[in-house]
Amino acid sequence: MAEAPLNSSKKPDAFVMTPEKLRRQRIAKFLGEGFLLVVASFVAIVVLFIFYFVAIDAIPFFQQRGFGEFFTSTSWYPADEPGEFGALAIIYGSGMVTIGSALIAVPLGIAAAICLSDVLPFAVRQYAKPVIEMLAAIPSVAYGFFALVIFAPLLQNYGGPLLMWTWWLIAGPFVFLAVIVVSDLVTSGGEDTDARKTIRWIVTVVFGMIALLFLYYVGKTLNAIQILSGTNALNVSLILSFMALPTIVSVSEDSLQAVGRELREGSYALGATRAETIVKTVLPAASSGILAAVILGIMRAIGETMVVWMASGNSSHIPEPWFNYLDSIRTLTATIAGDMGEADQVTGSARYHVLFAMGLLLLIISFVSNFVSERIVVRQRKILAGE
Amino acid sequence: MDLGTRKILDKSFTAVGITSILLMAVALLVVIVPIFSGGIGAIFFKGTIEHRKLQYEEFGNGDREVIQRQIEESDIYRNKVFAMLGEFETELESMTPAESRKLRSSYKKARKVLSHLLGPLPGDQEPILLRYRYGTTRWEQAEEALHDLLYVTKWDYSDPTRMAKQYFVPRMEEFKGTSLAVFFPFMEENLANMMLPEQTFYWGFITERSLDAHIFGGIWAEIQGTFFLAVGAMLFAFPLGVIAAIYFTEYAKDNLFTSILRSANSTLAGVPSIVFGLFGLAFFINTVKVSESKSVLAGSLTLAIMILPTIIRASEEAILAVPKAYKEASMSLGSTKWRTIVTVILPAALPGIITGGIISLGRAAGETAPIIFTAAVSVGATIGIADVFSSPTPALSWNIYNLASEHEAANEIRHVQYGMVLALISIVLLLNLSAILLRARISKKLKG
Amino acid sequence: MQITAEKKESTTSVATESSKREIFLPPDRERVREGGTPHVSAKNFSIFYGNFEAVKKVNADILSKYVTAIIGPSGCGKSTFLRGINRMNDLIPSCYTTGTLMCDGEDIYGRYTDEVQLRKKIGMVFQKPNPFPKSIFDNIAYGPRLHGVKDKKTLEELVEKSLRKAALWDEVKDRLERNALGLSGGQQQRLCVARTLAVDPDILLLDEPTSALDPKATAKIEDLIEELRGSYTILIVTHNMQQASRVSDYTMFYYEGDLIEYAPTKQLFTNPKDQVTEDYITGRFS
Repeated sequence: MAEAPLNSSKKPDAFVMTPEKLRRQRIAKFLGEGFLLVVASFVAIVVLFIFYFVAIDAIPFFQQRGFGEFFTSTSWYPADEPGEFGALAIIYGSGMVTIGSALIAVPLGIAAAICLSDVLPFAVRQYAKPVIEMLAAIPSVAYGFFALVIFAPLLQNYGGPLLMWTWWLIAGPFVFLAVIVVSDLVTSGGEDTDARKTIRWIVTVVFGMIALLFLYYVGKTLNAIQILSGTNALNVSLILSFMALPTIVSVSEDSLQAVGRELREGSYALGATRAETIVKTVLPAASSGILAAVILGIMRAIGETMVVWMASGNSSHIPEPWFNYLDSIRTLTATIAGDMGEADQVTGSARYHVLFAMGLLLLIISFVSNFVSERIVVRQRKILAGE
Repeated sequence: MDLGTRKILDKSFTAVGITSILLMAVALLVVIVPIFSGGIGAIFFKGTIEHRKLQYEEFGNGDREVIQRQIEESDIYRNKVFAMLGEFETELESMTPAESRKLRSSYKKARKVLSHLLGPLPGDQEPILLRYRYGTTRWEQAEEALHDLLYVTKWDYSDPTRMAKQYFVPRMEEFKGTSLAVFFPFMEENLANMMLPEQTFYWGFITERSLDAHIFGGIWAEIQGTFFLAVGAMLFAFPLGVIAAIYFTEYAKDNLFTSILRSANSTLAGVPSIVFGLFGLAFFINTVKVSESKSVLAGSLTLAIMILPTIIRASEEAILAVPKAYKEASMSLGSTKWRTIVTVILPAALPGIITGGIISLGRAAGETAPIIFTAAVSVGATIGIADVFSSPTPALSWNIYNLASEHEAANEIRHVQYGMVLALISIVLLLNLSAILLRARISKKLKG
Repeated sequence: MQITAEKKESTTSVATESSKREIFLPPDRERVREGGTPHVSAKNFSIFYGNFEAVKKVNADILSKYVTAIIGPSGCGKSTFLRGINRMNDLIPSCYTTGTLMCDGEDIYGRYTDEVQLRKKIGMVFQKPNPFPKSIFDNIAYGPRLHGVKDKKTLEELVEKSLRKAALWDEVKDRLERNALGLSGGQQQRLCVARTLAVDPDILLLDEPTSALDPKATAKIEDLIEELRGSYTILIVTHNMQQASRVSDYTMFYYEGDLIEYAPTKQLFTNPKDQVTEDYITGRFS
């Protein structure tokens, strides 16, 4: 109905338009929304362009050299004639610092996120958050400078004692906690008599002595270690973990907050302690969100350039033995940054294109992990919403 | 498990959480404090007469008469030193070649260290590089140079299982029995008289250009370059980001296309920064050719793409936080959707949008990887605003890397590096701090 | 939204089934006051949220220049109906309507309806006072400016006139440049009324205007409605039955999306025709 205006004799306050005006309004709306849509699509276009332009410069490398050498050889001599382009050691180096930083940042980040969401009172939390934001805000080159100029000499000169003290401070409390728990488990069951209590004490003391010896000998071994170069995988991993922490903490915290109060209260009501509530109830419910946080944090570490370029030592070999974090390594990002300066002069050669091949590899890794983490977050949201 | 054990576990659990937060705070301090204390040293230090001489001759700073008088004052002692050198040289002449060969080479080394300390010595050629025309400008460097003059550094390789050990041998021993023997104690005693150290507040570190590849002078060119790059990036990214956020929050329908756009946004946020650099090189410079080679424009465009997702996300959040009541009120008064957005929603969301913008500005200022191939040069003059379309520029972030890792005298200009890092961190942290304060004010306002 | 002819027929047939719930030209309107003419009239008018029919086939005429109260338990569709009159529901993506809703002989949901003009003609005041975070002056002048008034003098006059009508002028005349959010809740709500009056509407929709206010501020708003009676057609949704009986000439009672009863206020409260109405006004449920 109402195909045409109802009243031809228009009153001043009539709200029915002429067809003419309706058409004009529709055109204006179409143009306006079209403009907004074009601008909003800009990001998608840019993403496509990035993939296209990095790939188009990466493909000539694979055409010239194939895939085999790049992924399986560790000989990286791009400047030779003819050059060798084995990137395995470099890919390995990227993986090594990424895993190293994850080993530090993930436990620390999750513990901090739990602390922020469940332990600290609101007033304290307000001061903790800016600390995390500041950690995230410090430019990567400043971290790189710290790693190269301040931390590397420290590691080189006092490496052994530093490692030993870190071992005592971190492993010590955990080992003793383990002693208490294990002696509890060993002696539990049956009735609670004085004799049992005495046995428990004896067991605890015995285990404690063993643990102390263990701590002491590992510490002594660490103390004797000589670090030949302060610019190594350990240094980089530590600094990268600082940079990954803010992402892990804030995304995990969001995920922990998303688990409602009801779940926590249900667990407390059954007589669980806070630790038990969090470990057995909250963490499983938030696990997928935390996984997404870990992936996002790792992505920061894998894509970081300046720190690894300045403080990894840039030597393209697989460390001996393979887990030796005190050796220098080289990563994909640092190779791109460092070699482009020379390769740029001879645009078109394999030496130039191999860097784009590395860029493409990074791009694919980041795309896949981003996609995965996004899926995970969406799934968690659906599960929590009860769909 | 025993209740006691459970309680201990619970307490330790809390302790681990709090420790991890504390560790993060400690990490922040451990990074920032040395950089602050080192960076202050670039501006506030004990400067020698050489510093004042350089300042007067190169920048025209300082009182001519005072400096003249101080130069004369220090020359009293310097001339005594030069006299000793002259005496020793004539002594060398009088020796037989066999006797003097060893002494000559030792003397040559000592003389080199001395000229590093005091500037060109009488009889030296006028040096071409500016860095050799002046002695040490900073007192702590003068003391180090004195140490180098008094002692020869040797390495002990006797224990092959450990790293070589450093030890020092007095240089005086090489000149035992010659007239130069008195020279070393004299230097040790009268260094301050020759260098006239004074507490110096070198504000010019921020406002002056660098001399001879940052051996002397300030970092203005880098600060300006960073400013151009970051502001340029904002000029492109801010309007685009805000408009895209308006689309996402007010117009986008809940369909596949929108979700593709949204995941494109988070993909872009996750792209490694060095890949942005590659893209900037391949697209803006090699394909579109916005400039012949590196330029501020190409760098700004690359940075703009990098910060775009952050701006979109922050703006979206800010727009979504505007109470729906404002929109309803405006619509009920007969406003169109677009006018409602422009006159009511955007003004209310503006503080939040600006907060996101400020944080992005800080990020653009601090990033290095995207500008390596697109905009940054290691040594360069200050560029004018008209040159941004064609010239590359030095920038704080890039030059920190360059001076610390690639400069031939990286160890001697640590103070400049620290100063640059401090400048960069101050810029970024001040921007972030203002964003945090702004946000606190908004949340207070929203609470009423 | 348009509806097809078949749809209309089908709705009528349903309507006759539940014939009890579909009359509603109020009887003996002369007894209330003289000169009532239909201003807004609904025929088989329904509002849907997705599949949910929030307002069910309402037939009613709202009389010009009278105050009509809409009461009913929460979730009964009273607010939805009110917001349907100036198409505020359009902001909700899944919302659509069937049937017709006419205002002064024009179809509110017609194809050629200009929502902007419609909302200018039918003003609305919301549950929670929602002044813009701007100055008092700019709040009032927002509407007139939208509709093309630029002259400073005219704007000033308009602002004063509207504030006077809303009985707020004396309280705020010295601080027109201050932020409106600094006013008290009651003042804010009267400011919202003034803001609506400034665009010179014919109809005022008040959506529980006093639910967020204290008793004193409520009394002032009620006085204001008393002042405006006779100049505007006023619809007021309220939770408070005393308020409905105090301020309105007619009352509509909604229950689960149905318009159960529509009658002169006195009659509805003293002698309800419907059992549900009686249960509600006697407080057997709420």
